[in-house]
Amino acid sequence: MSTNPTEQNQPEAWIKTKDSELYINPLPVRIWHWLNALGFIALILTGTHIRYANLFNLMSFETAVKTHNWVAFAVIANYFVWLGFYLFSDRITVYHPELNMKKFFEKAFKQMMYYGYGIFKGAKSPHKVLPYDKFNPMQSITYQIVMLLVVPVQFITGLMMWDVKRFEGLIAMLGGLNVVVTVHVLIYIFFVSFTLIHAYMGALGHTPVTHFREMFTGYEEEH
Amino acid sequence: MMVRSTTGGTGAILPVTTFFITCCVLFSGALFALQAEESPESELQATEAVAAEAVVAESGVESTVEEVKDPAALKLEETLKQNSKCLRCHNRDRTKQLEDGNEMSLKVHKDDYLASAHGEVKCTSCHRAIGNRKHPSKSTNITIASEREYSLEMNNSCRKCHMQKYKQYKGSVHSALVAQGSEKAPVCSSCHNPHAPVSMLDYQAETGLPCKQCHENIFNAYSASVHGQARINGNTIRDSHIQAPICSDCHHSHEITALAIGDVLRTTCIACHENVTLLHNQWLPNAGTHLDIVSCAVCHAPFAKRKFDLHLYDNVANTPLAMKEGEAPIQEQLQAIADEGGIGDPLEIWKARGGFGQDGEVVDISLRSRMEVMSGIAAHQIASKSFAVRTCESCHEPGWRQKQNVTVSITQPDGRRQSFEANREALGSVKAIESISDFYALGGQPSKLLDILLLLSLAAGIAVPVGHFTLGKMIKEYMARGEK
Repeated sequence: MSTNPTEQNQPEAWIKTKDSELYINPLPVRIWHWLNALGFIALILTGTHIRYANLFNLMSFETAVKTHNWVAFAVIANYFVWLGFYLFSDRITVYHPELNMKKFFEKAFKQMMYYGYGIFKGAKSPHKVLPYDKFNPMQSITYQIVMLLVVPVQFITGLMMWDVKRFEGLIAMLGGLNVVVTVHVLIYIFFVSFTLIHAYMGALGHTPVTHFREMFTGYEEEH
Repeated sequence: MMVRSTTGGTGAILPVTTFFITCCVLFSGALFALQAEESPESELQATEAVAAEAVVAESGVESTVEEVKDPAALKLEETLKQNSKCLRCHNRDRTKQLEDGNEMSLKVHKDDYLASAHGEVKCTSCHRAIGNRKHPSKSTNITIASEREYSLEMNNSCRKCHMQKYKQYKGSVHSALVAQGSEKAPVCSSCHNPHAPVSMLDYQAETGLPCKQCHENIFNAYSASVHGQARINGNTIRDSHIQAPICSDCHHSHEITALAIGDVLRTTCIACHENVTLLHNQWLPNAGTHLDIVSCAVCHAPFAKRKFDLHLYDNVANTPLAMKEGEAPIQEQLQAIADEGGIGDPLEIWKARGGFGQDGEVVDISLRSRMEVMSGIAAHQIASKSFAVRTCESCHEPGWRQKQNVTVSITQPDGRRQSFEANREALGSVKAIESISDFYALGGQPSKLLDILLLLSLAAGIAVPVGHFTLGKMIKEYMARGEK
């Protein structure tokens, strides 16, 4: 492969950079993340409007429902960008769980101590961010649950609400529309605090914008 | 063309004659079939008449029925002769003293009777107890308890010839009410004057008879509706000759059922408005579900008062749960659901009150929900399409639930629905999520528990960052002070 003249002509630095220990967020992950972020914000806002229409007078109920549906489909499609990337890339290791419970709790405890105290003293995070080991144990467990359980359940319950008639058999099997809606609303409630806390924790980098910049450029910033 | 027609003229005589004879035979057959359906008693006479006509037609000789000495004509002559004997007296104002103290008119308007569909039926065919020889006199008086009793008894006379219609009537809500002892529910003669019966086709939207006699308010609502107005103005449904409906088009004429039950109403509307699903699909999200759960009149009678009905449903039979005769205690249980439904699970209340397995059988019951209009009058106030409710917010807004009238209902033995006003909180009760599992109005049905959880989530989403940030600042300040 390295004998390929075109590849040889590639700038050395580019190849090196891609393989660099600092290249944390590959392009598909970045695209997925920001589209997902915009989608989640739009879904939470339109969802809140659908549920509490008299709180703000931004749009009609009909517009809110239609926007919610379209954005939801975009977010579902985007989910497969994330899933496809990790399924067909060796970067999936970032989601590998720590199977040793003792190790997991020790690491998680250290991480909690860091966020609860060490961070204020300017201590370094006990977890070294690497391309193939990006998440600290708390992130790893949270994102696994969110991406493999919570988000798909939200998609499925949302789909069922989008076309109740089409999925009526499935809805009946799950205990009826009221049950499906309640699950959807509970996950929405969870995402309200999750999104806010996630954004705040994103600002806990070296400077408040460090992690945000990293999510745009893909590279961890050295400091 | 001319040449061909001239040359073919003589050769076509045989086929034309055959065709003419075939037509005559077919026509006679059809006539016979019609007569046989309406009047089984005259079957023999009709057969003879048809046979006579067939002979006439086949022989190819032009001849009148009289010339063959039609037995039917002779019989008719005899009937009219006998009837004229009756009408000689009964054409006058005569009354009979009834046992209930009232008087019953015995007058038959001769001309009306003779011109009617019954004009060729013997008086004694219906009034069997009163033959020529048995006619009541002062010495052999017949006692009649009341006009109602007499009308009920005379239903049997109608049955003899109109068996099919009678069977349909027996399955109707009218007949069920009569069986329950109602004094007002109609018998045959309440709608059809037996001495001057007219075709149902003559019942006009303008007069509303005979339905209006009892259902005046409903008829007035219908008259003013888009259906009533279109019927009165003679408008037809687009691209067809179908006229706007009168009462019997939706309710039938004899097998009258309560349309509010199950899918009957929707099916009735869709029978004419065929593309209704397609049209709603064009703009209404979840159109199919809306059509299932929201009664047509809820949106198409825009000024009608609405209600949210929880109907007890038999999941095994897949039909609305129907009360059996004499199941009076169920009403108490329904009242219990209605009273306590807001704070508990309606089905649990139903179970606790012994609502299940009344006669030992285990019944799988759920509560089916429907948006309906408050009254039968409202259900008939259908407006023109341009006035139909199209704004989602009329149901999907947070105050909606508080404004709803909620009822719990069950189908009575006669097919009508009995509703009990229930606690509005039932719709938002967490305990009712399972029992009212098939219904959810987006935006219109917030639950207090979920509202509190959302506020807690929002509070956590704000408090965690603010708290963490503040804690960090405090620690930094404390450390800075310590360094000094």
